Amino acid sequence: MNDSTVKSNSGFIVTLDRLATPIENIANFLAGLAIFILMFMGAAQVILRTVFNTPIAGYIDLVQLAMASMAFLGAAYCQRLNAHIRMELFVGTLKGRALWAFEIFATLAALFIIAVLILYGWDHFVRSYDSGDTTIDAEYIVWPSKLLVPVAFALWFFRLTIQLVGSINMFINPEREPVGIAKIQHVSEVASDEIKETFGTDMPDEGGIKS
Amino acid sequence: MSEAGSILGIGFNDPFTVGLIGLAFMFVLVLSGVRVVFAASITGLLGLVELLGWGPAAGIIGTIPHSKSSTYALSVLPMFIFIGFLAFHAGITQQLFNAARKWLAWLPGGLAVATVMATAGFGAVSGASTATAAVFSRVAIPEMLKNGYDRKLAAGVVAAGGTLASLIPPSAILVIYAIIVEESVGALLLAGFLPGFVSALIYGGIIVLWALYRPKEAPAMEASTWPERFKSLPGVSPIILVVAIIMSSIYYGWATPTEAGALGATVVFLLALFKGTRTKTIVQALMESAKLTAMIFSLIWGVLIFVRFLGFSGLPEAFTTWITNLDAPPIVIMICILLAYAILGMFMDAIGMLLLTLPVVYPAVMALGYDSIWFGIIVVKMAEVCLITPPIGLNCFVVNGVRPDIPLSDIFRGVGLFFIADVVTIALLLMFPEIVTWLPELMRG
Repeated sequence: MNDSTVKSNSGFIVTLDRLATPIENIANFLAGLAIFILMFMGAAQVILRTVFNTPIAGYIDLVQLAMASMAFLGAAYCQRLNAHIRMELFVGTLKGRALWAFEIFATLAALFIIAVLILYGWDHFVRSYDSGDTTIDAEYIVWPSKLLVPVAFALWFFRLTIQLVGSINMFINPEREPVGIAKIQHVSEVASDEIKETFGTDMPDEGGIKS
Repeated sequence: MSEAGSILGIGFNDPFTVGLIGLAFMFVLVLSGVRVVFAASITGLLGLVELLGWGPAAGIIGTIPHSKSSTYALSVLPMFIFIGFLAFHAGITQQLFNAARKWLAWLPGGLAVATVMATAGFGAVSGASTATAAVFSRVAIPEMLKNGYDRKLAAGVVAAGGTLASLIPPSAILVIYAIIVEESVGALLLAGFLPGFVSALIYGGIIVLWALYRPKEAPAMEASTWPERFKSLPGVSPIILVVAIIMSSIYYGWATPTEAGALGATVVFLLALFKGTRTKTIVQALMESAKLTAMIFSLIWGVLIFVRFLGFSGLPEAFTTWITNLDAPPIVIMICILLAYAILGMFMDAIGMLLLTLPVVYPAVMALGYDSIWFGIIVVKMAEVCLITPPIGLNCFVVNGVRPDIPLSDIFRGVGLFFIADVVTIALLLMFPEIVTWLPELMRG
């Protein structure tokens, strides 16, 4: 995101992007934390049950309730980093306005379904809250878990809105510096992301890589 | 149903027609670049609206993301994903490759055979094909080149070896298959073990044959002594531990797949800590795991919204009736289905392809009398083959990304040999389904 070369109203998009990014990062981190806790809890459960014969009470209920945080909190972060699967075979060949027209269409489609899911996911939560339903075994309350759907999807909706504005901005003038959009990646770029994700920041010289 | 019909003004009251239009509509959306999760869920929503009316349709789909994600069986996925991102940092790759080399280098093409076995071993800790290819591009390719191996072969064996990770447990894609078709996750994971091993053996066999035919491309190496071989074994003990935890827990049932995954992840995590992995790297692995988990769960609930609509439309039943009434033996139909997957896989991501096609294809395959676990292994193997075929064979691009000095065209040519090996493997699995079903049946007694 190179601000100095932007000669359009993209300052607005940059502001929105800067607002959303840290929230998305935190949400995704919370999902990661849930994975981390689930790992220790699972290991503890096996050891406590098999060795000490004292399993954690309501373990399965707890895992099921925690699933929502892992499933949904990272969705907007994933959208920003362009990690939700799409088929780029056709769109990847497009350039200029045609490309941005397709991007606008794809983003509008996404906004529509996420809006529906926020509204009706909220209803699903409200029903649970009003009735005070609990899990079967340990009788934990369910509504906080259901609340994660509209909350996480609202974040997702916000990110999609930024991308929509970004795409419209590019449609108006394809020469502009792309801001706030999910760039279509070539397979080689996907591959280089995969490589970075595998090795992380640790790059020990195991085999004399030439780069 | 007919009263609610036509709400969208399409005017079709026949659920089957709506189903067919829905299917076509979804593929148009996917082709125009709409992300798979949105394409599937929009089609599911609009189809249900056409069949049931807005209120009931939106009400149904509003509950699906939460209810379908909050299942205990799915909780194994984040565990396997986290193991995948940590596996490299546990520092077992170099020891694994060394051990494989000590034991196998005496064979014709021995270093390449050792690479195959090391990728299979790494696959027993990680379920990620691309990560396996990336890791061994750095560990094994330099060794092979140093010993005078042809670079096409060296790159090809790493790209192809990476695909073994998806069959050998832990495997995320097998879990996804199990969830979508409502099979036992444990049975699928167990079933993948032997076919993964057979695939590795066939890769090894074809390398030996190739090295005998073209010795210059894979020069022979000196055999290691027996003491040297045994000395290499302690380095791979963590892998044996993780495999023992995951396989024995599923087989003997002393832990659920999630618990086994959690225990395996804890072992790999402790190893990574022991190797001096920094907190920053661990946090990064967690962020990546959360991202991939969100991606996969989105696909799952998106496709399950679509599946709900398909269920109302009766399309899968109609397709099943059509397939079973075809005047062809089941094996011919199966081969046609596999060919269709091979073509589709050239243009689509493996997980996306499976999720979008299984809701329609799976019931038909079951009606033809095939075993559901067997079919899972076969389609996952097909999806993996697509990771090494042009034009978008991701594993080849990964090898090229780590080794930009080896041109992509050479890598694609290098995997040709392993493509043939995969065809042999699939033929074997077709002829001897016991390779797949033996272990799960043994478990079930």
